Amino acid sequence: MKQYMYLFRGGDEGYTNLSPEEMQAHMMKWTEWMKVISQNDDPVAGAPLHGGGKIVKNSGALITDGPFAEGKEIVGGYVIVEASDLEMAVDMSKACPIFDFNGFVEVREVVGEN
Amino acid sequence: MDLLKLERWLARTSHAVSQHFKKGARYLSGFFYFRDVNTNNIQIPEEHLFRNEFAKAVAHLSAKYGHNNLELAEDAVQEALIKAMQVWPYDGIPKNTTGWIVRVAQNKLLDQLRRNKKLAFPESLPDTQDDVIEFNDDLLKDDLVKMMFACCNPTLSEEQQVILTLKILCGLSIKEISSALLKSEEAIAKAYTRAKKKFKEEEIDLKIRDVKVISSRINVVLKVIYLLFNEGYKSATHEQLIRKELCQEALRLNRILLELEKTNSAYTRSLMSLMCFHTARLITRIDANGVPISLEFQNRSKWDRRLIEEGNFYLNTISHDQINEYFLQAAIISIHTNSRTYKDTSWSSICALYQRLYNMKPNAMVGLNHVIALQKSAGATIAKSHLNSLAKLYNYKKTPLYHAVLSELEIDLDNLNLAQVHLSTAISLTKSESEKLFFTKKLAQLFDGNASSKS
Repeated sequence: MKQYMYLFRGGDEGYTNLSPEEMQAHMMKWTEWMKVISQNDDPVAGAPLHGGGKIVKNSGALITDGPFAEGKEIVGGYVIVEASDLEMAVDMSKACPIFDFNGFVEVREVVGEN
Repeated sequence: MDLLKLERWLARTSHAVSQHFKKGARYLSGFFYFRDVNTNNIQIPEEHLFRNEFAKAVAHLSAKYGHNNLELAEDAVQEALIKAMQVWPYDGIPKNTTGWIVRVAQNKLLDQLRRNKKLAFPESLPDTQDDVIEFNDDLLKDDLVKMMFACCNPTLSEEQQVILTLKILCGLSIKEISSALLKSEEAIAKAYTRAKKKFKEEEIDLKIRDVKVISSRINVVLKVIYLLFNEGYKSATHEQLIRKELCQEALRLNRILLELEKTNSAYTRSLMSLMCFHTARLITRIDANGVPISLEFQNRSKWDRRLIEEGNFYLNTISHDQINEYFLQAAIISIHTNSRTYKDTSWSSICALYQRLYNMKPNAMVGLNHVIALQKSAGATIAKSHLNSLAKLYNYKKTPLYHAVLSELEIDLDNLNLAQVHLSTAISLTKSESEKLFFTKKLAQLFDGNASSKS
């Protein structure tokens, strides 16, 4: 098995006008999907990320407000999952609830020993 | 049980029950909160958790930072809930969800207030970190009740009171309110903005601890709860979940009032009893095609016994000198819900209760319902002469129920042609689709000469 990182990009703008009831339903979708991709009882490793931050360059000589990407594509969180190959990792990402709000998933292989 | 027995029984039991009630209320009002939160390793939040947390947090923050900051509180809580939605799938649902939401929302609210103050005047606000959140269940209930009373300010129109309550205390969105009240989103949004403006002007100094304020306004609050309930009850079809949920929301709000001593009055308990009985029968009132089923043909085995017991419980807490409009309505339905079969119904008790209700609050519709009970207990001739005298007091010409009742009376009096005429009039007058279906089905039965299927 190899490890893959899902970077969740965008989707946040759609959240503003959700009703509490809709938020709860959406949260449950994420919770259930994370259970599926973890493939065992352990919680999947990952974290949500704040929208804001700083970009630090040249040992701190250049610090700007970040992230760079357009608002729509900002990484809002990540998880690390196990899959036999990229194809499987991509398949597993297809049920991600982020697609409900026009966000997307970037699937990247974690560099391992082989 | 006839009325005399009912009254004797009430006199006998009310003291003992009210003692029991004082001990048991907390447990009983928690009836619907118990829920298994851990199924198959996925944490499942309580049903409507976010909605309820929204209400609690907005009520708490508005009470703490002033009702004039209602909008800021709403925005802050909305943001906190979005954060919960994003974080909880990773971290799990915290044990104290209310504490989590309130803390996050308060920080956001204080940030915003600080930003606003900086623009206006440099007065300092408590530092976010140092401001320990001091609240507990009792304080939160207090805040919720305070907010309920604020939303039911008598200077607001009934519609505004209902919309504010649905938005703030039930945590519904404008879109959800519009589908619950069958109005356009735009109309609801406008009404909400206007209501909020007035709310802020009126409620700066609301002192809920003032007994006078409570006693003068509790009936408005109960009326809004009952309006909310009726909105859901009168047309709770299977497709429209949101309308059925209005009934649940009304029960929930009433339970909050029951949990606080100062708002736990005979009225509050009577209304609770009434709504319990109605809700117990909710799913048996309409068939698969959306046609109402009359009481006679409802499947009594599907009535919710637990809710009926809860209704009985609250009904029994009312003593003679506390009899009120809600109590009488509840007592009437209690005779139905506690009759094993339709045949067992004590129509003479129902008749007597309607008479008392009418004496307390003379009104056209109560009069009509009294006639129906009179027909069952004393016969069509007496009932018809009573209806004739009522028709002199009220203009029933355009009331569908009046013609439907007349039609029933004419069937009993063997005037089938007249019965058909009145039923046709009822069909042409009613604005409710399901009622139209109901009457039409009846009319078809009449034409078939099947006049025995009365209800």
